[in-house]
This record gives sequence, structure tokens and C-alpha cells, in this order.
Amino acid sequence: MNIIELHGITKRFNGLVAVNDLFLNVPQGSIYGFIGPNGSGKTTTIRMIMNILYPDSGQILLFGSEHSGARLENVGYLPEERGLYKKMKVRELLRFHGELKNGKNLGHEIDFWLKKMELSEWAERKVETLSKGMSQKLQFITTIIDQPSLIILDEPFTGLDPVNAEVIRMAVLELQKNGATVIFSTHDMNMAENMCDYIFMIYKGNKVLDGTLASIKDIYGADTLRIQCEKGMDALQGIPGIEVINNFGQMQEIRIEAGADSQKILAKIMSRTKVSRFEVTRPSLNDIFIRIARPVKTQEEHA
Amino acid sequence: MRKIFILARREYRTAVRTKSFIIGLLLAPVFMGGSLIAFALLKDKVDLTEKHIAVIDHSGIMADYLLQAVEERNKTEIFDPEKKEQVKPVYQLEIIHPDTAEMQQLRIDLSERVRNKQLHAFIEIGPEIIHPGDNPEKSRIKYYSENSAMDAVRDWFSWPINNRIRQLRVEELDLKEEAMKDLFNWINLDGLGLITVDRKTGDVQDARQISIGETIIVPYIIVFLMFMMVMMSAIPLLTAVMEEKMNRIAEVLLGSVTPFQFMMGKILGSIAVSLTASAVYVIGGIITARYLNVGNMIPYDVLPWFFTYLILNIIMVGSGMAALGSACNDNKDASALQFPAMIPMILPLFVMMPVIQEPLSSFSTGLSLFPPFTPMLMLLRLATPVTIPVWQPLAGLAGVIIFSVLSVWAGGRIFRTCILMQGQKPKFVNLVRYVVRG
Repeated sequence: MNIIELHGITKRFNGLVAVNDLFLNVPQGSIYGFIGPNGSGKTTTIRMIMNILYPDSGQILLFGSEHSGARLENVGYLPEERGLYKKMKVRELLRFHGELKNGKNLGHEIDFWLKKMELSEWAERKVETLSKGMSQKLQFITTIIDQPSLIILDEPFTGLDPVNAEVIRMAVLELQKNGATVIFSTHDMNMAENMCDYIFMIYKGNKVLDGTLASIKDIYGADTLRIQCEKGMDALQGIPGIEVINNFGQMQEIRIEAGADSQKILAKIMSRTKVSRFEVTRPSLNDIFIRIARPVKTQEEHA
Repeated sequence: MRKIFILARREYRTAVRTKSFIIGLLLAPVFMGGSLIAFALLKDKVDLTEKHIAVIDHSGIMADYLLQAVEERNKTEIFDPEKKEQVKPVYQLEIIHPDTAEMQQLRIDLSERVRNKQLHAFIEIGPEIIHPGDNPEKSRIKYYSENSAMDAVRDWFSWPINNRIRQLRVEELDLKEEAMKDLFNWINLDGLGLITVDRKTGDVQDARQISIGETIIVPYIIVFLMFMMVMMSAIPLLTAVMEEKMNRIAEVLLGSVTPFQFMMGKILGSIAVSLTASAVYVIGGIITARYLNVGNMIPYDVLPWFFTYLILNIIMVGSGMAALGSACNDNKDASALQFPAMIPMILPLFVMMPVIQEPLSSFSTGLSLFPPFTPMLMLLRLATPVTIPVWQPLAGLAGVIIFSVLSVWAGGRIFRTCILMQGQKPKFVNLVRYVVRG
């Protein structure tokens, strides 16, 4: 069963198309990653799913039916730009959000999540006394305090240190295990690759990728070589069959041209320098993202 | 509705728990009544330094009489009859014989003496004060001092001078002293209310004396209380909504509530805050008035109207303020909009006096039936001792209800569009477009 179905939704702002004729199905119990460059339409799509914005055309089904203008009790939403009432105490704030969402057993849930997020000591302090990381964890709790069956997180990991990001990641996985469907948008491709059952990429308002990670990578095939060699970039210049080289310093990632032979390329490199690592692989999600969005700064086109 | 109550409860708790609310609650009446209290405390603090007054008597009939009158005053009038303390300053009179050739120089010299504090004032009495002739200049009595408009000395001298003039005019008529006694007995018209009949018992209640307090002060206080409540609870919604938009609290809440619920929650919270504060003031006012034995001045029949109009006024103004707040992006936008948005609240204050003077005039009736002004001006008319036709407050109420619904509807449409919109300046044309298109 699909928890969310988008049927040809389009949204324009002042004549500019923000989201164009988008179709998307989010299966129950899945983690769906929304990726795409800034301004590509992720947040607009999420806001339309949340009924905060209305599409100009198309249909949105949540839990199998339309809910125009209404707020559903069992949906948790963490917007990208988020703020909290700074003068409220942590526990008071959680209870306020829990009551707004009609949450059950709030006292127990608040204690459980404060403990899980290591915020119990701060329960009676004002929100303004929390650090940025703590505030973000508190934001996360306000989103899921009523145990929603659909959780929509817009950039939940932005600004978090690795330890706190891991805490949130584990919490999301646990919520999914307990039956929740999770949508989250992110710029962290590693996080998306590690967590998501499905990936959806939107670029300039259009859907450019949609499917499981494996199915997406299958489209691109094993066209990527990872190489570590003594001479680094110098050894890779002018070799036929190389389309693009991504230089990571200690390691280079090469995309080969369609039909090129990876073994011949390896032989050529070995004739120039000592190779310590050579791997034929499928492109990473990060590479796929860059291929579509093409931010040229991080790569060097092979002439 | 449940969500609106939860939002309103948070707004209310946040507002009433702040120190500024409690301090404001206590300080507002102090500021309002401060000048009255200061006046009451300071009215007995009269300057007791001796006052020298020069008199130039062109008529030749006033100088001796004034010397006697001042002497008499210094003996009897300047002491408190019970405490025997001096409560008024001694006057010292200096009679100056007019030198008609150098009058202007004399006036200049005397003015200089006033400036040097040797004199308090000087009086110049015209030559034809008993029988003013064709030249009005000759029958004038001029009082020169540094602050002659508000001067107790000037007020006092009016009496002996006019008594003397009257006395001389009467003497010319050759009337007997006894016949003359009542001649100047001026009888004031006592201002009374109307006679009422108790509907239950049939008892006739005599008309009460209507004081200036009931006619002017009570209506003023009630309308100012309304103004203060709206200023305290509805006007700040503009900056509150703007801040929640800028701090990105709005979008978090919009995940759980609709924009309309969000706006109404804030308005309902404001109503609760203003009802709390006004209840404190009204109860405090009633207790104080009873303590001061002026409890009969409180128009109890107006209080239900006060609370009804207050609630509707906050809905009306609050929805406008919340909508404008949602359209603002920073404090600059908010402060630019705040004053124009307050104009419908401020304008009724300017017309209070004419409305109090003639509550039944077509001017007063018309303005009080214009919905943005109705809560303040209809209330003002109701609070005066005059009975206004029963249909008028009801028609005003209907107008305000319709206007409030329209205001909430239009405000809701602006709010819904603007609350997540960043970087757009709140232009009037755009706001109208949001209302029309939604």
C-alpha cells in the first residue's frame, strides 16, 4: 500500500515552475530519500504533501484519500527552516506540540524521548538555554512525540555533528522498524545511501531519479574506477577511454566512456606508475547526483 | 476548535506570566491616574510668598476700596478656618498714580519690576469703568503678569473690583440696602438625571444630581480602558506574528495546525489576556469607587456592552494585525505598518469630546455606527447619562459582528498566503490581491 501518491502535481510561483507534473508513490514502511540541489523543488514538494502549499494542478493522496486544507494527526513534519518558542521550558514545549498533535500518553513519551536524546537533564530548562545540536534534537522529538505513522523530515541532519546525527539516524531507523513511513530530504548522499530504501531526485522541478538505490545504480552500470597510485592525477592524464576524473587527493575516481575497456585503462596507468588500489565499481549516489546537477568545481573534465 | 484552544492557552500563559504583563497591569492605572493623584496631593501646596501687586487707577474710585479689600483678605481669607494655618499668600498693594504723559514708560518700568520679581503683577484700571462709553479702551481693566492666563491673583481681584463697580452703580440708582440684597443672588441651574420608576416595586426614584464625573470622566475612563486593552493585546499581534514567521516557528506549527487555526489561536489568546486585565481594572475600579463613596457613578448597565465590544474589537483589530504581521519580513516592515494600522483605533479618541457633549447628534450617531469606530464610540455614548435609542447599540453590534467576520476572513486569506512567504515587501496592492485571490 502507498502512504503517499502524487499524481501529476505542478506548482508555480510568479510564473516560474517549482514542481512540474510530478508523479510519486511512497510505499508504507519505507524510508524515502528526497535529494536534489538547492532550489530544485524538494521543500515545495514536501510542503504540498503537508497541505501547507496547494498544488496548481494534480492530486495528492495521503493514506489513500485527499485531505485538502486539513492537518492529519498522524503525520510528523520537521521543516527545513525551524524554530522553537525560546521562552518555554523543554517539557512544556513538548507537551504543547504533543497536545496539538493529539498525542497519547504524552508524559511517558516525553520522558522516553528526552532520555533517548540525552536531554533529560534539560527538561525543566528554557529552550533558549540549549545548544544548537540540543535544539535540533528537541525539534526532532516535537516531530515524532505523537508516534506518527508518516514522518516527513526536511534536512534533518543539517548542522548536526556526527554524534548527534547518528543519534537521530538511529531513532529514525527505529521508528521505521516500528512501522512508520519516513520521508527525508538531505544533501548528505552518504546518509541517503546508507538509510534509504528508495531515492527520489528532483532537479529544476522535474523528477530525474526515482527507485531503489540498486535500480538507480543499475541504470549507470559499472562505469566507475577507483584508483590509488603513486603519481596521482599526473598518471591519469591523456588516457583514452576516460570521460571524467574526480580527484579526491589520495584517491581518484574515474568515469569511463561507454564501451571503453577498464582493463586497458588499468594497463596504461600501470605502465606509467605503481598502482596500489584499483576497483571497478558502480557510481556512488554522490557521483550520480553530481552527474545530473553538474557542479563543475569538484571535477575535472578530461579533454 | 481544540487546537485553537491549545494555541490560545499557550499564548495566554506566556503573556500573563511575563513580568512586563504584571508590571504593566499595576503601572497602567498609576500612569492614568498619576496626574490626578499628583494634582490631589499638590493642590494644597500653594506658594505662600508675599505677592506685591501694583495698581494704576485711572478711574480714581478703586484704589482705596482695593486697599481695604486686600487688608480684609489678608486678615481673614488666607487662613484655614479649622487649622488656623496660613494657606494662601499675603497680598501687598502698591497704588501708583497715573502719569498720563508717560504711561507707556510707566508700563515698561512696571513690567521690568515684574520680570525682576519685585512685583507679581500690575493692574491698570480704565477711567470709564462705571459707565463704559464709546471707547472700549477706557473701560478696560488690564492685568499684566508673566503668566496672566492662569493666575489666582487675577481671579481674586475680579471679585473686589466688580463688587465695587456694582456697588457704585447701585448707589447711583438710589436703592435701599435691603432691596438690593437679593439683586445679585445668582441661582445656578442644577443638573439632574431623570426620575425613574422601579419596575418591580413601582417606587419612584428621585432624580440624582448629575456630576461632571458621570458626564465626562466615567465615559472617558471606560473608553480609555477599551483603548488600552486593544493596545495591550491586539496591536502586539503584528510583531508577535512577524517574529514567529522570522524565527521559523510558524512553519513548525503549520505542520500541526492550519493557518486559520494558528491565527485564531493567537487572537483568542489576546482576548483572554485582555479580559483578565480588564476584569482586574473593572473590579479594582468598582472597589475603589465604592471606597470613595462614588459607587453610584459606575454605569453597571454599560459593563456587559464593554466586554462584548471589547471581545469583538480584539477579533476585528487582532485579525488585521496578525495578517499584517504575517506579511512583514523584519522590524522595519512592522514599524512602518504599525502606525497606519492603528489609525482606526486612534481616530475615535479625537472625537470623544463632541460625542460626549452631544451623544444624540447625527455626527455622534453616524460615527458610532461605523463598525471600526463602534466599539469605542458606541460605548462612549452608552456611558454618558443620556439615554440613546435601544436599536443603536444593537445595530452597532450587528455591524461589528459582520465586520469582524469579514476581517477574520480577509485576514485569514492574507495570513495563509504570507506566513511562509519570504522577502516580499508588504505592499497594500499585494495584500488586496491575496484577499481577492486567496
